[in-house]
Amino acid sequence: MSAVVEQSHSNSGSVLDQVGDNIIHHVSNSSLDHPLIHFPHIFGIDLSVTKHVLMLWIVSILVVCAVIIPVRKYMQKDKAIPSGWMNALESVVKFIRDSIVQPNVGTKYTETWAPIILTFFFFILFANGIGLIPVFDLLGVLNRFVFQIPASNDQNFINRLLHGGSTVTGNFNVTAGLATLTFITIIIAGSKAHGFITHWKNLVPHGLAWPVYIILIPIEIIGMLVKPFALTMRLAANMTGGHIALLAILSFVAIFAEMVNTSTGIGLSLFAIPMAAAILGLEIIVVLVQAYVFTLLSSVFIGMAINVHH
Amino acid sequence: MEDLFLIGVGLGLGLIVIGAGIGIGRLASAAAEGIARQPEAADKITAAVNLPLFLLEGVAILGEVFALLILLMTRAA
Repeated sequence: MSAVVEQSHSNSGSVLDQVGDNIIHHVSNSSLDHPLIHFPHIFGIDLSVTKHVLMLWIVSILVVCAVIIPVRKYMQKDKAIPSGWMNALESVVKFIRDSIVQPNVGTKYTETWAPIILTFFFFILFANGIGLIPVFDLLGVLNRFVFQIPASNDQNFINRLLHGGSTVTGNFNVTAGLATLTFITIIIAGSKAHGFITHWKNLVPHGLAWPVYIILIPIEIIGMLVKPFALTMRLAANMTGGHIALLAILSFVAIFAEMVNTSTGIGLSLFAIPMAAAILGLEIIVVLVQAYVFTLLSSVFIGMAINVHH
Repeated sequence: MEDLFLIGVGLGLGLIVIGAGIGIGRLASAAAEGIARQPEAADKITAAVNLPLFLLEGVAILGEVFALLILLMTRAA
């Protein structure tokens, strides 16, 4: 967060022009021209590692360490009595299974579709949560003031890490990938419950006069595609929006310091920083709610494919 | 005069917020009334309110994203 104010002053030109770019810079992916690790192009796709790809790896490793390994260890024990972290995990898993998956998907298919819903939940929760922790900004501050490496040094790995935001779910491509998984899951769930052909027939109600179908079939196809699109937009926009609001409020300090005078900026910081802290508190709720919403809507859509009401 | 589209984007964002606010407010008031009349049904009412709430939020967010897209694309052009 301190990087906002520093960078506003380090470049020349009016602060107002830079604040917008700065905010976008802090929520978007790092530039493709300066990747963290260079990889060759394969089939015309640039495989170089940018900030968000690195964050995806970090989130995956965290999920493996915090969820998969403890559960595997617990399953191998003779006397299965959960303790400590395992208790917390078990209550979350039970909550997701019993109050999200089961009412929406139905008792028969709960055990089939609970694992993928849980995977979505843990991945999104960790990815959202890690975006709130300013690890990289802290590393940057250490780098600047303890190791005395200037911000202009592009060869330094930590300086390169500072480009781009760290909320991986704030990237529309990542959430589009997650929503594509949901889309495929919906089709597989419908096919498993009713057979492949019947699943597509179930999309429209049968037994209507044929002119109705001319209007109805395109509407249902659009509806089928809008579901994952809405999932994509909701998650990414929510995660980006909170960070933009946070950075905008912090940027007021720099803007007012430039437009009026330095003491006004310092005075405004007395209001801006508590306000930012309050928004960060709100963001913690948003992080939990968005992980919940994605899993809830995924299970509702899977349930719609299985329990057809037409 | 070319910057007039900014007014449109601002008005659109405001209208989206008004619409979403009215929708969420109505949902919350109905849920609160229902729970006040029948406290033992609180869990069921919350579960029934959740889904429309998130769908409504999704529509509002879509509107905001499109408003931002208009802003950014007009800037780039």
